[in-house]
Amino acid sequence: MRRSHRRRISAGARYLVLSLWAIVAFFPIYWVIATSFKPDTQWFAWPPVYFPHPPTLANYLNVWFGAEEYAATQYAISSQKPLVSLLNSSIIAGASTLLSVLFGSVLAYGVSRYRILSETRMFQLLILRMIPPIVIVAPLSLYYSALGLLDSRIGLILIYFLTTLPYAVWMAKSFIDEVPRELEQAAEILGASRWRTLFEIVLPLIRSGLVATFLFILILTWSEYLLALILTKTDVTTLPIELSKYQGTTEGRVYGRQAALAVGITIPLMIVGLIIRKHLARGFSFGMVRR
Amino acid sequence: MARIELVGLHKTFDGIIAVKNLSCAIEDGEFVVLVGPSGCGKTTTLRMIAGFEDPSAGEVRIDGRVVNDLEPRDRGLGMVFQTHALFPHKTVEQNIEFGLRMKRIPAAERAQRVRQVADMVRIAHLLDKMPSQCSGGEAQRVALARTLVTQPTTFLLDEPLSSLDAKLRRELRAECDRLHQVLKRTFIYVTHDQEEAMTLADRIIVMRSGEIIQIGSPMEIYSNPVNYFVADFFGSPSMNLVAGEIVPGEEAARFRCTAFEVALPLRFKSARAGAATLGVRPEHVMLGGPGGIELPVRLVEPLGRDTLIYFDAACQRAFIAVSEGLGRTDIPIGAALALSLAPDRVYLFDADGRRM
Amino acid sequence: MNVAAVSAAALPLHASSRGRSRERAIRRFRWAILGPFIALLAFVLLPVLFLQLYFSFHQWTVYLGSWWEAEYVGLDLFREVLSDPRFGWAIVRSLAFAAGSTIGCFLVGFALAYLMHKPFSGQALYYTIFILPMLTVPVVVAYTAEMLLYQSGPINDLISRLTGIEFKPMWLTNPDLALPTVMLLEIWNWVPFSFIIMLAGLSALPKEPIEAASILGASSWRIFWEVQLPLLRPVILLALVLRFLEAMAEFPKTWALLQGGPGTATETVPVYIFLTTWQYFEISKGAAMSYIVMLLMIVIVLLAIRLLRREKRSLDAMHVSSPAGPESAP
Repeated sequence: MRRSHRRRISAGARYLVLSLWAIVAFFPIYWVIATSFKPDTQWFAWPPVYFPHPPTLANYLNVWFGAEEYAATQYAISSQKPLVSLLNSSIIAGASTLLSVLFGSVLAYGVSRYRILSETRMFQLLILRMIPPIVIVAPLSLYYSALGLLDSRIGLILIYFLTTLPYAVWMAKSFIDEVPRELEQAAEILGASRWRTLFEIVLPLIRSGLVATFLFILILTWSEYLLALILTKTDVTTLPIELSKYQGTTEGRVYGRQAALAVGITIPLMIVGLIIRKHLARGFSFGMVRR
Repeated sequence: MARIELVGLHKTFDGIIAVKNLSCAIEDGEFVVLVGPSGCGKTTTLRMIAGFEDPSAGEVRIDGRVVNDLEPRDRGLGMVFQTHALFPHKTVEQNIEFGLRMKRIPAAERAQRVRQVADMVRIAHLLDKMPSQCSGGEAQRVALARTLVTQPTTFLLDEPLSSLDAKLRRELRAECDRLHQVLKRTFIYVTHDQEEAMTLADRIIVMRSGEIIQIGSPMEIYSNPVNYFVADFFGSPSMNLVAGEIVPGEEAARFRCTAFEVALPLRFKSARAGAATLGVRPEHVMLGGPGGIELPVRLVEPLGRDTLIYFDAACQRAFIAVSEGLGRTDIPIGAALALSLAPDRVYLFDADGRRM
Repeated sequence: MNVAAVSAAALPLHASSRGRSRERAIRRFRWAILGPFIALLAFVLLPVLFLQLYFSFHQWTVYLGSWWEAEYVGLDLFREVLSDPRFGWAIVRSLAFAAGSTIGCFLVGFALAYLMHKPFSGQALYYTIFILPMLTVPVVVAYTAEMLLYQSGPINDLISRLTGIEFKPMWLTNPDLALPTVMLLEIWNWVPFSFIIMLAGLSALPKEPIEAASILGASSWRIFWEVQLPLLRPVILLALVLRFLEAMAEFPKTWALLQGGPGTATETVPVYIFLTTWQYFEISKGAAMSYIVMLLMIVIVLLAIRLLRREKRSLDAMHVSSPAGPESAP
């Protein structure tokens, strides 16, 4: 059976290649999770310990709940307060993303129906996103300091909002483009104002798309590092900064603790990502993929 | 030469049977049309012949040789798709010469054959254009040209005209017919349009729910439908079908329904009593005469060449008679007219739809 | 055709008052939306850009008192930056890092997408696993890498066991290996990005031309090269450009873990600017550097935009007439 024979071989080869990468993709994630459950004797063990025996919750209890009895004695930790950082991250990421999606969808509506921005400008909007933030962060911090926005949540919310706006506009536009204009014309004949049409008719129709956009941008704001590093000092810390501050004051790294922290930072993101996995393509397409 | 045999072809998709144990033979040079309603399995069958679907069971044979194991490109077939399927990034000329390039035909010969074929389907003026610059009809001609130039033994056509309007459809239909006569190769054509089937086919294969219902020439299918479904499917306007019952009698059986009662022709003398459906084509219903039927007029439709007169036969379907020309357009609505049926053109179908 | 948009945005010029008042209302609406956006940009960006420009022409460090009394130095700072070999090396490293990781991401992502674009059993599971690396926070990737690539760590252990040789390179502490290692990290982190884009592109390709090519005699390789690849050009470009730009700006993996080290092995442009401004406190030099980099990036981005727009236009041109719907012109 030449044809089906060949099919089976290529199917087998395909499974092989895909499984190889699946292992490569998953192993680091597994390692972090496993390490977070390791007692401190197994952090640096040689040969490495692939499965913690026995698994322990000490790392989590110490990192996330400040349980002092689990504080490792050999490794003094200059700890911050992860739970506070969690709160900060949630507020900052949540608020900036919300602003981004709201503002972005209104802008997108304007672009889609009223051509307030040409196609050129839409692409130029991406410049906002593509310029390395490092080049403006110095004067920005000075400006913020003058405005009193340094080391504040609002400061971060504002800049996150601005830098994620391009994505929000592009994604929302792709959803709005698919709403038939007859609906808006019907609303107009029935007496609705343009704003009402936008908020009562168009946006509710793309609700699921907006949720996907929200979650997509949430991933970006949650994991942002550079701006948070520079624009905050002591009052406000986000989770990514928390992780980098969390190191042993002695030579070695506190792998178990860091792993527990890392897991806490990453798991929410993974859940979000998995929820919107079918919509991820839309966020990246920028008009290059014909639907 | 290309004689195609389908032996016990069977195809299931996720538990749904698309094609059920289908067997038939297609002779070399025939124009065969697979026709039936959507979902009857005709496209699936065509794709199995082409090699884009693997049969769950059964064989496809070309010239006696089982080809199940061959890739589409090794089967010597040509295919025209419903959506023309032209390569959008290549010019018309590049599209047409594609198959020749795959066969490594040298450039000079390619150019010549492309020119020839472009002239044959009259698209020579489009050679430099891109597919997006061609209209639907032009694009479909290009698709034809692309297949023609590779000189396959058999042409497979998957509803090539469905996306065109009525006028274009007739033009391209005539084109297909002409090509078949000129090339004398086997054409296997899939459509849901019975008119296309009637006009193009040497033989029609009527399919429904994955099975072959009837095979025959257009004349046979039209005048000798094997069941209710076939009778209803072919003909425009469709055959009049009235539900009622057969009442046996001493000299002749009678057919009785809500609207009328009529004596049945002699050949039905021994028909069994019971529920049945009477079928008669509109062109075989005559106005006037001792038919024993009188029905009120519901609607008169002058079409130019004929006039359709719709009668109320106390059932969902209108009972239609065709009158030639525009002579009888003045019939008042509601008037009762006497009708008679051409006796050798009356069909009876039993409760299961089979022809009696 | 967008009837409403045409009628809303390009009104027939009625002399009638209804036409004119409608035009006014539309203009008001457009500015109501656009206005706040422009105001926000101006409020945040303009002062920032101005300050940056100011500092590139005025020498100032934190110890010199208030910034508006800084001394004007003309183009000295720019000259200093452009003649700084360390800056040049940072640019080289950034470009190498961005190019290498982008190509790596693309090749792996494309290969995966190609293997996955036709349905098969278990596909959903693979897809889920494949997108996970992108959902990890880049800082986390950095620290995880340290745990994994620690000289006596799992990666070296696994490779040693698989190949039978004692394999213990110092991935992150060996200056020759550090940058390639970070590139590998970047690739691991962002393969899902190219994967998703290429998968979307491949799935959006029309199926019938591919079948037509198949029955016309083309082998899989031919079909890939002549039909799929040309139609995928816009998507490929997008995947490459977006990733390249983001890779140029990459910061956590080079800073959080290595601080640009060992030595200057992973000192990319963002890292060097960071060091200059916040560790050496040469704010003006940092500003001049930032300006140069910003101009460089804007040039690259504009080029990229031009490329992308050209691809989008050719993509639109290919889809002018859709096969669905009846047409009358013969």
